Amino acid sequence: MLEKARVSFFLASRSITRGNKGITIFTVFVLTLIFIQLVLFSSMLAGVTLKFNELMVNFQTGNVVVEPKEEERYIEDASALQKKIESLPQVVGASARLKTTGNFRYKEKEIGATIYGIDSADETFVTGLEDAIISGEFLSRPDKGEIILGREVSGGFGALMESRSLGGAEVGDTVELTIGGVTREFRVKGIYTTRYFMADASAYLTRADLEEMLGIEGRDFAQEIAVKTADGTPEYDTRTALLSLGIGENIRTWNEFAGILRLIESTLGMVRNIMNAIGLLIAFVIIFVVIYVNIVNKKRQIGVQKAIGIEQNVIIASFVLQAMLYAGAGVILGYVFVRFGLVPYTVSHPVEVPLGSMSLRLDNAEALNRAVLLFLSSVVGSVIPAYKLAQKDLLDLIWGK
Amino acid sequence: MEKIRKHTKDAVKSMDEIRKQTENTVKGMDIIRKSTDDTITDTIIESIDITRTFKMGEVEVRALRSVNVKIRRGEFIAIMGPSGSGKTTLLNQLGLLDTPNSGKVIIDGSDTSRLSDSEKGKFRLHNLGYVFQDYALLPELNAMENVYISLMMQGKSKTECESAAAEILAAVGLGDRLQQLPSKMSGGQQQRVSIARALAHSPEVLFADEPCANLDSETSKEVLDLFEKFNQEKGQTIVMVTHEEWHAEYADRVIRLKDGIVQE
Repeated sequence: MLEKARVSFFLASRSITRGNKGITIFTVFVLTLIFIQLVLFSSMLAGVTLKFNELMVNFQTGNVVVEPKEEERYIEDASALQKKIESLPQVVGASARLKTTGNFRYKEKEIGATIYGIDSADETFVTGLEDAIISGEFLSRPDKGEIILGREVSGGFGALMESRSLGGAEVGDTVELTIGGVTREFRVKGIYTTRYFMADASAYLTRADLEEMLGIEGRDFAQEIAVKTADGTPEYDTRTALLSLGIGENIRTWNEFAGILRLIESTLGMVRNIMNAIGLLIAFVIIFVVIYVNIVNKKRQIGVQKAIGIEQNVIIASFVLQAMLYAGAGVILGYVFVRFGLVPYTVSHPVEVPLGSMSLRLDNAEALNRAVLLFLSSVVGSVIPAYKLAQKDLLDLIWGK
Repeated sequence: MEKIRKHTKDAVKSMDEIRKQTENTVKGMDIIRKSTDDTITDTIIESIDITRTFKMGEVEVRALRSVNVKIRRGEFIAIMGPSGSGKTTLLNQLGLLDTPNSGKVIIDGSDTSRLSDSEKGKFRLHNLGYVFQDYALLPELNAMENVYISLMMQGKSKTECESAAAEILAAVGLGDRLQQLPSKMSGGQQQRVSIARALAHSPEVLFADEPCANLDSETSKEVLDLFEKFNQEKGQTIVMVTHEEWHAEYADRVIRLKDGIVQE
């Protein structure tokens, strides 16, 4: 058994090292491209998912959100609870927010949006909103009658749903906001974009202004407390720590807010699987054709090998090994190219997509899975032609029939 | 009188017994002589009534018609005949590269008609060697590797393979070209590598199908001298197809074929 494997390996390695270099280079090149194609979509999807997650955490929810108890509208005594939360060592910051929906009116246009009332100083510790300002300035604590708008509300700045925005409200303009029948005018202090359309379809004003509009001035209410934790802290641990503080409010991690994102992710996952299946089919056909052409050109050699007593299985195994070596080289080159070339490149030069700047993210387990699939394709794609030919009559092979 | 008759009767009986014993002795002697004859002739290959028919479209070509040949161990045989007489077909049957439609090929006492394809492969690997008209070397293997590939298949270690290959290549005059690829060799050199490959595993029989067909006279002579050397010095049995009379002069015996029938 071992000597047979030795002969197969010997024939395969000599065929690769001393055979037609052009065929070897072409085959490996094609297999490299196929592997890249197989992992690229996964990497893109992983990059998009990561971006989604980052956007959720960095611009909307923080890591964990504390919400009112069941059947209650507000968190009462929010400042005390916020301080309690901030006392946890892993908590970087907490922002108590009021949250409601309201109608904006600007010139002839009217749209609905989510309105947050925030303490700007606290918010800075939780989200990156301040850095997301693209025009004007972020809110400051003493501001009154000032508002910042997401670009999907203001319009302009490349908003994705321009027609459903205010059509180009700018910093310094006055917009009219109606909440629960109360209407007030606000001066646009800043416009922000996170490039995440859900986060960009909101507006922020000071908590004092929103309290006033909701008629809850001085009541120390909040509708959610967004909590940001140190990098790498598992959300589950934070939740446990918060519960151990005796917090009876509803505690949810950012993941639980990502419903629509998960839907998009799983849709993309299906597309990825289809692409993978097509990629593998192409890989199979290419491997089949390359190996078949290779074998047909070696008909006489196979005949001679059989004549001098080399077993059919050994001959077939030598071609399968050859295909596996080609696939191995393709996988390694493809992996090196993606892992050490494409991924670092997109990290330093992110691709601009509607979601924002996106980098590729290569998951090693996924790459291994694709490598195994490519290997299996190459085995099947080589066994069939090799077996068919090696089965032929010895003299037909020798005479090249 | 009665006594004399009885004695005479006994004497006749004894005579009959003596005759019977003598007959048995002669019979035994015959058996001994026959087996001695067999030992002396020591047949290595015997074909019994082999017939080979090829189908070419609708037409059936009878390449061999009830061919019976016997080849003794250590013989150098040349198979000759005009084109289409069945020389190569006969060689392929004797060398187990093809299977006759009927008849048997017995090699060294083994009836090969009973062997499966894979058993035939193993038999060829251990007992037979081949030299083809166009050398049939594996282009991706160098001289040494071409020679030891069958030894490798037999399970010999790398060292054994290499030393055996180097030895036989030196014996065919290519001791300085062990690492040379076939594409870098002349026809004569390639044919010598092919001979070395055929002989590396010390086969019972070496089959050569027009080994000098692609070579000039001088190189042909070198190749034939090599055959003669291995035949005379090592007692190598050789069966060679040729169409040149002067090649046949190297052989101990010529089997002539015409229209698939042995002529003499």
